[in-house]
Amino acid sequence: MHAPTATPDAARVGSDTIAALRLKLPHAVLDESWQTPTQATLTVKLDELPNVVSTLYHEHDGWLSVMAGNDERTINGNFALYYALSMEGAEKSFIVVRAEVPAATEEFPSVTPLVPAAVWHEREVRDMFGLTPVGLPDERRLVLPDDWPDGLHPLRKDSMDYRLRPEPTGDDETYQFKNDAKGETTVVPLGPLHITSDEPGHFRLFVDGEDIIDADYRMFYVHRGMEKVAETRMGYNEVTFLADRVCGICGYAHSVAYTTSIENALGIAVPARAQAIRSVLLETERLHSHLLNLGLACHFVGFDTGFMQFFRVREKTMTLAEMLTGSRKTYALNLIGGVRRDILGEQHVATLRLIGELREEVTRLVEMLLATPNLEGRVKGVGILDPGIAREYSPVGPTVRGSGHRRDTRVDHAFAGYGGVAMPVNVGDGCDVLSRTLVRVSEFFDSLSIIEQILADAPGGPVLTEDFTYKPHKFALGFTEAPRGEDIHWSMTGDNQKLFRWRCRASTYANWPVLRYMLRGNTVSDAPLIVASIDPCYSCTDRVTVVDVNKASSVTVPYKEMERYCRERTNSPLK
Amino acid sequence: MPSLSHFALAVVQAVLLLAAAPLLSGFMRVVRAKMHTRRGPGVLQDYRDLIKLMKRQDVHPPASGFVFRLMPVIMPATLLVVAMGTPVITRFAPIDALGDLITTIYLFALARFFFALSGIDSGSSFAGIGASRELTLGVLVEPVMMLSLFVAALLAGSTNLGTIGAAVASLSMHSAAATLMAAAAFGFAVYIELGKLPYDMAEAEQELQEGPLTEYSGPSLAMVKVSLSLKQLLVVAWFVAVFLPFGNATSMAPLDLAAGLVVFVLKVLAIFAVVGIVENSVARTRFRLTPRHSWLGVGIASLAFVFYLAGL
Repeated sequence: MHAPTATPDAARVGSDTIAALRLKLPHAVLDESWQTPTQATLTVKLDELPNVVSTLYHEHDGWLSVMAGNDERTINGNFALYYALSMEGAEKSFIVVRAEVPAATEEFPSVTPLVPAAVWHEREVRDMFGLTPVGLPDERRLVLPDDWPDGLHPLRKDSMDYRLRPEPTGDDETYQFKNDAKGETTVVPLGPLHITSDEPGHFRLFVDGEDIIDADYRMFYVHRGMEKVAETRMGYNEVTFLADRVCGICGYAHSVAYTTSIENALGIAVPARAQAIRSVLLETERLHSHLLNLGLACHFVGFDTGFMQFFRVREKTMTLAEMLTGSRKTYALNLIGGVRRDILGEQHVATLRLIGELREEVTRLVEMLLATPNLEGRVKGVGILDPGIAREYSPVGPTVRGSGHRRDTRVDHAFAGYGGVAMPVNVGDGCDVLSRTLVRVSEFFDSLSIIEQILADAPGGPVLTEDFTYKPHKFALGFTEAPRGEDIHWSMTGDNQKLFRWRCRASTYANWPVLRYMLRGNTVSDAPLIVASIDPCYSCTDRVTVVDVNKASSVTVPYKEMERYCRERTNSPLK
Repeated sequence: MPSLSHFALAVVQAVLLLAAAPLLSGFMRVVRAKMHTRRGPGVLQDYRDLIKLMKRQDVHPPASGFVFRLMPVIMPATLLVVAMGTPVITRFAPIDALGDLITTIYLFALARFFFALSGIDSGSSFAGIGASRELTLGVLVEPVMMLSLFVAALLAGSTNLGTIGAAVASLSMHSAAATLMAAAAFGFAVYIELGKLPYDMAEAEQELQEGPLTEYSGPSLAMVKVSLSLKQLLVVAWFVAVFLPFGNATSMAPLDLAAGLVVFVLKVLAIFAVVGIVENSVARTRFRLTPRHSWLGVGIASLAFVFYLAGL
């Protein structure tokens, strides 16, 4: 599976960075392979793993995109970890740092102390593969529920049949919520049935009066087991449609990321017209997603009139999606190698007409929104994401752009049809809810002009290629810029016409860890607004595990716990 | 001692106000839907909601005490007493003893006190925060109310709402400027008392899950909901009685009373239509910034007092 060590090559973006890395850590890199001209995988010594990741992260402008664990015992006898870094310095490329974890020890040195962005990924790998990150500061479970049996790690190849549901081991919720507050605090539980975040996430706010001193949260209540299902039951192209269903809003971004990862792994040349159509649909998705978030921002500050008006206009974007794909959501249009449907002449004309209408109506609405009394007072200076914290945790999308970091996958790592498109990267320097909202507003208008540009420049020709064969154990990254930020998929083909491993990291997954810092120092009344300002997608985050705890105790126990904390109010769970 | 006919009027007007309260909130919902470009429910929706709630089970949190149980009774009862004393369709208070402005202010404060207390008693942290907000809001708004009404009382020479109203209606107040100032300050305070956006702090739906209402269910929730609508109707009626009493019935003659009723309904509808438009074109104020807003009210009310002293 490893290509022979390649010599530095001018056509390969990222080779200078790798040369510099080899110079600094002379004996760390064991092997180097290239999946595409902008994607390299370095196999490194396990002991050097934290140093290599940290060097790339801190000295070469790397951002941690995803870390995938992989049970490669059937291939080479070891587990493997793939830390994918998006290099956004002088050379814009992806460098994947791979380390093999011996099956005998099942331990690896944690990267988190040096690169905090790895924390959720390492917690997840501990849950799903049973690999222990030595030195990981946060040893709580991330994905598995509290009543999951110890020693059963779902993503191991030999762990369990996908139909198996283990018995719950206990009725208690034992999850320890973290509270760094010095003085006494009151616990305010937010969700899973809070009126404005009616989604399966549970937040615990530790407050003094109305001030949030600290906050912690627990996600992954409704796991769908998508990665395991993809590996055990589905063919390559079926996973394309499964990836659509990762999210109800930005599903198309996931299916493009997945197909791109396979196309990159197998070196498939996708026709230019198909790539252009993908970009048009991705931007359509961004239009309706951003209008949704702008509407919700109105709702959360109590301005329901704006909420309703934004949703009225949003209907036009759904009409656009329906015309281009046949369904109100941009679903089911991708295949590995291209798309299933062309954009015809009359659809082209109708798209331009809808774009014109949207531009006019949204301009008017945004003016109205910004002129609304009290709005600025509600969102300005609220939910500050410090640029330093952002740098440490690698968040994505409008969340990180609102804090002044110029990160946009469409520009940094042009994929699909974005290569020749002129587009700015909108950043805000307020670091607050207002800043993130304004970034979304600007991006909305950018999307309109991107669609116009692509439609004007799109070449003719076929929309699908089937001129390829699947080869076993090829792997690569696929990535898109979803409305909420970078979606990144890491896929490895198997030898049985199924994926060997599919790691799907949704944008919201990268944004959750910074939320704690954004909540601190604000008031309880701002909490829903701050949570909404990262435009969280619970279903995206809850995509990956094999566990369907719906029928077990996970739904009832949090209620009981919640009620108990409601009653007692002063009992912080850590005291 | 009020005469029998006055007493009957007081009872009838209290019952009518209570019966009309859901109609008013239904009307507000229609205005809201229009502003949202929605079709929305009809004006009678709140009656249907109340009937539905009345049939439901009443659930109390185990940690709640007797205050939590008592509030759905005390609050409407207190408000009904206020309803009996306010000059609504007549220019005079039906029951003189209840028509005193100090009595009215304290009756409203009593309702607020129990509303807030029930929030704390429910044991829910959201309700607790809502309750503390409600009390803070009381501290901020009541001085404005008192000061502006006292100016009016000093000008009219009586603390009786009917007498002040009569003085305003006959344009015999000593100082027109002070009266207008006092009316403005009182109107502002009344708007905050309505609990409408941008000042619906205690029941802020998106922030606090409706604050003290969080834990109520079934018939109790119905009682609290109808009380909140009744309170909105009453504070507006209070404002109308003192500063906009034009067209009220001056005697107990049936024709006069009927005319007074029509005029009252028109005035209330006009005021609530304006409130509806304001409410639906603003975002909620940050709670922390509310004192700055209420200082404006205090300022206007103080100015009214100065104008009174200067005899302008």
